Amino acid sequence: MKRSWCCLLLITSGFVLSGAGGIAHAAAFEPTKPIEAVVHTGPGGGSDIFARAIAELMQKEKIIAQRLQVVNKSGGGSAVAMSYLAEKKGDTHTIGFFTGVWITNPLTTMEAKTTIADLTPIVRLVLEPAVFAVKADSPYKTMKDFIEAAKKNPNQLKQSGGSVTGRDNLVRLVVQKATGAKWVFVSFPSGGERIANLLGGHVEAMVIEPQEAGEHIRAGNMRVIAALTDKRLPSFPNVPTLKEQGVNVPVIPQARGILAPPGVPKEVVQYWEGIFDRFAKSANWKQYVEHNQFEDGYLKGPGLNKFFDDLTVQMREVLKEAGAKVVR
Amino acid sequence: MESIGNLLLGFSVALTPGNLFWCFVGVFLGTVVGILPGLGPAATIAMLLPLTFKMDHTAAIIMLAGIYYGSKYGGSTTSILLNVPGESASVVTCLDGYQMARQGRAGPALGIAAIASFVAGTVGVIGLMLIAPPVARFALRFGPPEYFALMALGLTMVVFLAGKSMIKGLLAMLVGLWLAGVGTDLFTAESRFTFGQMELLDGIDFVVVSIGIFAVAEVLVNMESRGGTELFKVPRGIRNLMPTLKDLKDCRFAFLNGSVIGFLIGVLPGAGSTIASFLSYGAEKAFSRYPEKFGTGVIEGVAAPEGANNSETGGALVPLLTLGIPGSNATAILLAALILWGIKPGPLLIQDNPGLFWGLVTSMYVGNVMLLVLNLPLVPLFAQILRVPYFVLYPGILGISIVGVYSVSNSLFDVWMLGLFGLLGYAMRKLDFPAAPLVLGMVLGDGLERALRQSLMMSEGRLSVLITRPLSAAMICVALAILIMPLVNKVRSFRVKAVEQDV
Repeated sequence: MKRSWCCLLLITSGFVLSGAGGIAHAAAFEPTKPIEAVVHTGPGGGSDIFARAIAELMQKEKIIAQRLQVVNKSGGGSAVAMSYLAEKKGDTHTIGFFTGVWITNPLTTMEAKTTIADLTPIVRLVLEPAVFAVKADSPYKTMKDFIEAAKKNPNQLKQSGGSVTGRDNLVRLVVQKATGAKWVFVSFPSGGERIANLLGGHVEAMVIEPQEAGEHIRAGNMRVIAALTDKRLPSFPNVPTLKEQGVNVPVIPQARGILAPPGVPKEVVQYWEGIFDRFAKSANWKQYVEHNQFEDGYLKGPGLNKFFDDLTVQMREVLKEAGAKVVR
Repeated sequence: MESIGNLLLGFSVALTPGNLFWCFVGVFLGTVVGILPGLGPAATIAMLLPLTFKMDHTAAIIMLAGIYYGSKYGGSTTSILLNVPGESASVVTCLDGYQMARQGRAGPALGIAAIASFVAGTVGVIGLMLIAPPVARFALRFGPPEYFALMALGLTMVVFLAGKSMIKGLLAMLVGLWLAGVGTDLFTAESRFTFGQMELLDGIDFVVVSIGIFAVAEVLVNMESRGGTELFKVPRGIRNLMPTLKDLKDCRFAFLNGSVIGFLIGVLPGAGSTIASFLSYGAEKAFSRYPEKFGTGVIEGVAAPEGANNSETGGALVPLLTLGIPGSNATAILLAALILWGIKPGPLLIQDNPGLFWGLVTSMYVGNVMLLVLNLPLVPLFAQILRVPYFVLYPGILGISIVGVYSVSNSLFDVWMLGLFGLLGYAMRKLDFPAAPLVLGMVLGDGLERALRQSLMMSEGRLSVLITRPLSAAMICVALAILIMPLVNKVRSFRVKAVEQDV
C-alpha cells in the first residue's frame, strides 16, 4: 500500500516537473505488459540478433521497465512479419524491426500486400555500411581496375551476393549503369557461401560488411577496393569511396530501425521516440554500434517518413532498370 | 609437441568446474532439444544468446556448442521410437531404426545411435583439432559446379533408398524435387507455385513434409488395422535393451564410414548434415554384404547416418573457426554470438584466442563423454514408451508432430500442410511408394537447382563447366557408376538366366 502511494507521488511529481519544463505530456503512455518485438527472420537471422541485442542492452541500461519479447515471424521475405504487424492495428504493445527488405520486398512480390507506408514509423537506428572487396591476390587494386577489366571482358567477372533485390546486387546495377561495365551476379543464400566462393577464387568480388571484411584482411585473404558510403569509413581510412574514384552513383543504404502497427495513438509514438532518444545516447549502445562498425543513423519524425518515401522511389527505379518485375 | 601443449592448455580451460558445468548444461539442453521435433539447435542457441552476455566467453561458447552437438544425439530418439524425425538429419534413421523398434529392438537401436554418435562425434573433434586448416583450404575449392556434382551424387542415393520398384522411387524423388521448387526464386525474386499464399513464399519447410509423410502417415496406416493391433514387443531385461557385441562388430564399418563422410561433408559450407546422413547410409548399403536387408531393421542403417550427423558438427566448426565462414544455421549463430561478445571471429581466431579455441575443442571431447553417459541410461527408459497402449501412443505421436511442426515458424498454416502431407504419405504407403526418396529429393532439390544455375551463370550457360573441373567430374563419374550398377546387375542376372536356359 505504502509503495503504491510512493509511486503515485513520484509519477505526479514527474508530471509537475515535466510541466515545469514546458513539455506537456497529456496522458503519457507507459507499457503495462511485455512488448512484442516482431522480426522477419528466424532465430539467428540478422534482424533477430539485432533485436535480441537491443532487448538485452535496454535492460542493462534500465531504459524500459517491460521486457522486449522477440517474436519471429519469418516467411515471404518480410511479408509475414509485415502483415502480422498490419493485423495488430492499434496495438500499443507491439513494435517491429525493419530493414531495407521491408521496402524492396513489397515492390517485387505480389503476395506481400503490406507496404512500409501502411505502418507507423518510429526511429531509424543504424545504417550498415558496406565495402567492395576482392581476394588479396587479385590484380584489381582499385575500383577503376575492376571496372576497366569488366568493360574489356563483359560478363567474365563475377560477384557473389544474396538475393537479386538485396543491396549487393543493387550496388552492382547502379555501378553498371553509371560506367557501362558488365559483370555477373551469382546468388548464394548464406553469407558463408558468398565469402567461401570469393576466397576459393570462384568469383572475383563481393559486397561485404566492414566488420566481417576486417578479419579477412588482417589474415591477408581479402582486399577492400571501395567504400560504398558517402564518407570514408573510420576503419578503412585509406579506402576511397566510389565517388572519390569517379563512380558517381547514389549510395544504397541498408537501414535498421523500429516501427509500430498502423493506427497507434500519438502518445505511444512519442513514448517510443523518448525511449530511443535515451537509448541511442547510452554507452552500451554506442559500444555495440562501434563493435559492429555500424553507422549511427538515428532519425525520427518527418525525416524518417521522407527517408522511407525517397528510398521507395529510388528502389523502384533501380529495380525497374534492372529488369526486375516491379508490382507496386 | 606444440599440439600437446595446446591440448594441455585446452584441458586446463575445459576442466575447470565452471566450464564443466556449462558444458553439461549445453549438452543436456542439446539432448532435450534434439528429442523434441521441430525445435532445432539453431533456434535454441539464438534464444539463449542474450543470457550469454553476462557469461565468461569461453564458458558461453562451450555451452552453445554443447547445445549444437548435443542436439544430434537426441535427434534419433523419436525417429527410432515413433517414426517422427526430430530433425532433418534423422530422417534416414527412421528407415531402419523404426523397423528395429517394431521388431522389439528399440533398445539396441537407441544404444547404437548413442554409441555411433559418440565415436563419430569424437572423430569429428579429432579432425577439427588436427587437420582443420588444410581441410578448410581444400573445402574452398568447392565452387558451384562441385556442389552440383555433390548433390547429384546425393540424388543417386535414391538407388539405395527405393524399395522394390526403382520407377516408384524415382517418381517419389521427382515429387520431392518439385516440392523443393516451391517458394521465392533466389535468382529472380519471383514466386513459384505459391498460389498467392504468402506462407508459401519461403517454400515448404522440410520438417513439415518429413513429419507428415513419416509420422502422420504411420499413425493413419496403423489406425486402419484397428482390429488386429499388437503392441510393440519390448523385451524385459537390460541385456535386451543394449546393443550386443555382435551388433557392435557389425557396425565397425558404419562407425568409420559415418565419421569420415560426416566430417568431410561438414567442412563444406554449402552441404549440411542431412546430405551427410543420406550419403553415409547409401555408402553403408552399397558396401554391405546384404544390401537387400536395408530398410528392414539393419543396425548399420542406424549407426552410419547417426554417426555421420554427429561428426558433421566437428566438420562444420572447421570453416567457422579457421576461416570465419559459417557452414550451417547453427554455426552462423555461433558466429553472431562471437561478434556480440566483441570477439573477432575470423581466420585469426585461433591465433588471437588460443584459450577459447582449445578450450572449446577439448570441451567437445568432454561433452561427448557426458552425452554418452547421459544418453545410454536413458535408452531403457525411452524404450518403455513403446509399452504404452496404442490408444495413448498414436494420439501422442500426432500431438508431438503437430507441436513440432507448429514450433518451426509458429504458423497454423504449417499444421494444415502437415495434414496434407500426412494424407500424401498415407496414399504413398497404400500404393507402395517409398517415402525416403521424396524427402531426399526435397532436401537436395534446392541445392541442386541453385548450384546448377550458379554454375551456368559463371560459365555463361556452358554445361561443360560441370565436367571440365576435376573435382566435379570425379563426383559425377561416381554418380553415374552408381546409377549404372543396378542395370549391369540386371543384365548379368538376365545372362545367367539365359545360360541356365540354354543348358
